[in-house]
Amino acid sequence: MVKRYTDMAYKAADDMIFGKSVYPVKAELGLEVGAGYVTAEVNYAPRPEAGVSKEKLVSEYRRLTTDIMARAVQVGFPAVSLETEHVEQMTNNPTWGGEIAHVQKTILEEYHEEYGIKCGLRHTPGDIREDRDLLALIGKKYDILMESFEAVAEGGADFLSIETMGGKEILDYAILRNDIPGLIYAIGCLGSMDMTMIWEDIRKIADKKGRIAAGDTDCAQANTAMFIAGGLLDKNLAHTIAIIARAISAPRTLAGYEAGAQGPGKDCGYENTIVKSITGCPIAQEGKTSTCAHSDVMGNLVMQCCDLWSNESVEYHGEFGGTSVQCWSETLNYDAAMLNVATETGNAKMLRDILVLSDKYRDPQGFVLAYDNAYKVGQAIVKDGDDIFLRAKNAAVASVDILNSPEAKKLSMSKFEVNALADAKAALDAMTDEADTFMSDSLEKYKAEVAVFRPDANYKF
Amino acid sequence: MDIDPTKILIRYNVQKEKAQTPEQMASEMYPSAEPAKTISAAIFEGEEDDVIEGLEKAIEGGADPIALIDDVLMPGMKIVTDLYDQGVIFLPNVMMSADAMLEGIEFCKEQSGSVPKPKGKIVCHVAEGDVHDIGKTIVAALLRAAGYDVVDLGRDVPVDEVIAAVKKESPMMLTGTALMTTTMYAFKEVNDRLLESGIKIPFQCGGGAVNQDFVTQYELGVYGEEAADAPKMADAILAGKGLAQLKDQFHKH
Ligand code: B12
Repeated sequence: MVKRYTDMAYKAADDMIFGKSVYPVKAELGLEVGAGYVTAEVNYAPRPEAGVSKEKLVSEYRRLTTDIMARAVQVGFPAVSLETEHVEQMTNNPTWGGEIAHVQKTILEEYHEEYGIKCGLRHTPGDIREDRDLLALIGKKYDILMESFEAVAEGGADFLSIETMGGKEILDYAILRNDIPGLIYAIGCLGSMDMTMIWEDIRKIADKKGRIAAGDTDCAQANTAMFIAGGLLDKNLAHTIAIIARAISAPRTLAGYEAGAQGPGKDCGYENTIVKSITGCPIAQEGKTSTCAHSDVMGNLVMQCCDLWSNESVEYHGEFGGTSVQCWSETLNYDAAMLNVATETGNAKMLRDILVLSDKYRDPQGFVLAYDNAYKVGQAIVKDGDDIFLRAKNAAVASVDILNSPEAKKLSMSKFEVNALADAKAALDAMTDEADTFMSDSLEKYKAEVAVFRPDANYKF
Repeated sequence: MDIDPTKILIRYNVQKEKAQTPEQMASEMYPSAEPAKTISAAIFEGEEDDVIEGLEKAIEGGADPIALIDDVLMPGMKIVTDLYDQGVIFLPNVMMSADAMLEGIEFCKEQSGSVPKPKGKIVCHVAEGDVHDIGKTIVAALLRAAGYDVVDLGRDVPVDEVIAAVKKESPMMLTGTALMTTTMYAFKEVNDRLLESGIKIPFQCGGGAVNQDFVTQYELGVYGEEAADAPKMADAILAGKGLAQLKDQFHKH
């Protein structure tokens, strides 16, 4: 049995700040995350042609890693962290991922030795646990995935991460139908169950190899909601519903920490501010610097409490200013420098609040994720921290309450957003507080409605 | 510290919102006669039980179940998709209305024992190696909502399977979705293999990674920017448009 969080790591929302966490983590080559400064975390993807063989992939990662390090020392940056999100071949063939981690780490070591630059390396195997149209969370694919973690840890990756998919089969159905209990079941319940299983095992591997079990994200579900919601004029999902899904993802991501994750949390987990308020562990975030990967309605706000600052992903190719990884790493590092100046000059909170106000009223999603409100969602989660159903429901209720509160009056919402919020509130008000009832009702409902739902095989019901 | 947000940003969705509510707009579009009016409203609300109840009453009153599909269910659904196209209602409403309408169609089929002639058959798939299937699911739902018979091959579909399905089903068009730059190349192969077999159906391709420039590189390809373009293209095919005209219409960039 894992120990669930029932308390906040911070006494007050105002204590949360970028670059500092309650429990910093330390990588091998001098980099500390959450220890008082923000560091760039550079993300990249190989060109499609590079995927055809192991040799080509290794060479692609060798080049891009060297490019990033060379640019970092050219411009005088004190630290940098890299994240390699696997393409499928690298996870399915654990030795590929392992070799790439080793090649990258060797380059980081050379730069560290030569210049003293602090560096970190995160590897994120792909969640390969699926079989065409069906999730296959437990079984052979799980074992390959664990082998992949072993291999990258052995190869030298400091931080182990993944973007897990537990609950996804129900989310995909529920999110297109404004089904709020479905969101809670998919993300809060099924997702947290899978997270608890997988993170206990990742932690074991990390401990065995002397690495850090970093963290997960609910990208597969929360960011699907974000994407479907899209921009202000898109008509695929009300932004007031999207933020409910995104808030429920916090207790799911939290389950990873309860099972052994230590941070830094994954960049695309927008729920991370909520999670940090509870765990005190460092987080990575992405925003205006990840416009190369997706558009965003809170590009500045998400910097508010980041410890690593990321660009999500960019294809490796040439730009006028160098290769894409050089351009983006330079931008990230300059942002980090600005944040660190604010810290050094005692202006951190002022800068944090400027970043937040840039986007707090841009969209309901940013409003709820602003650190003061995120903290409130955190409190709602830990209030019933031991009950994975109830805490997910609490997160949903808290987001609705935040949007309906008098403080939200400056946030101008469309009638449509307001109505969707009212419908969501009605759906939440009609829900039970009893986990057992909710679980058995949901099991029956979704077994009947979702053809690809395989509860026994995937969640050991 | 706080700010007056109107100094730094504009929520254009609020600014542009129509004065009328979607419900008001829909009710103005309902047919005036019963049972079409009640059933249309039930479809708009996504209430399948009310749809069935309305159909039951109509059939008891002597209506032909198959005629109800064409004369009541399809026009009722069209109100919903029209409002979606105009940006008045959101996708989940369309999905829920489509679910209700499709249940209504099933009910009418059971009642009559015969199968109505669908507008046309369409095969949908996600490219080999790609699991991103939400866009495809939306495309399939909108096509069904528009009265097309959809054969959904699912995600990560090998080229062989796509070709086999097209040969077996003889669809009026094929759709492909790809969200990764690494997987979209499968579309070219599908195109080549179709041409080799002498099959020249329009192949509408969309999804995050796909852009118009890429799709124009192969003969059968027509770019689909948003899911709503799929039923529009199917309608255009039924209206007699050929590949060149389809490209003309859907290649907006
Ligand atoms: C959600 C998501 C996932 C989910 C997918 C769940 C699912 N069931 O679909 C999960 C978590 C499983 C996932 C996994 C991965 N993902 Co992903 N994912 C996304 C994300 C965040 C959103 C995609 C989405 O659902 N969008 C919403 C839908 C509705 O949009 P859409 O499909 O484009 O459809 C719209 C239109 O395009 C159109 N349309 C679509 N098809 C068609 C067809 C026709 C005919 C027409 C007319 C219109 C049309 O209609 C829709 C609405 O109008 C994107 C980010 C991005 N920038 O796109 C990354 C993204 C696509 N993923 C990416 C990656 C790398 C991965 C992984 C490899 C990660 C990993 N390391 O494991 C795996 C891939 C596994 C695999 N083999 O496929 C990259 C791809 C990069 C690349 N190579 O091009 C992206 C771009 C993220 C990034 N910036 O790096 N992902």
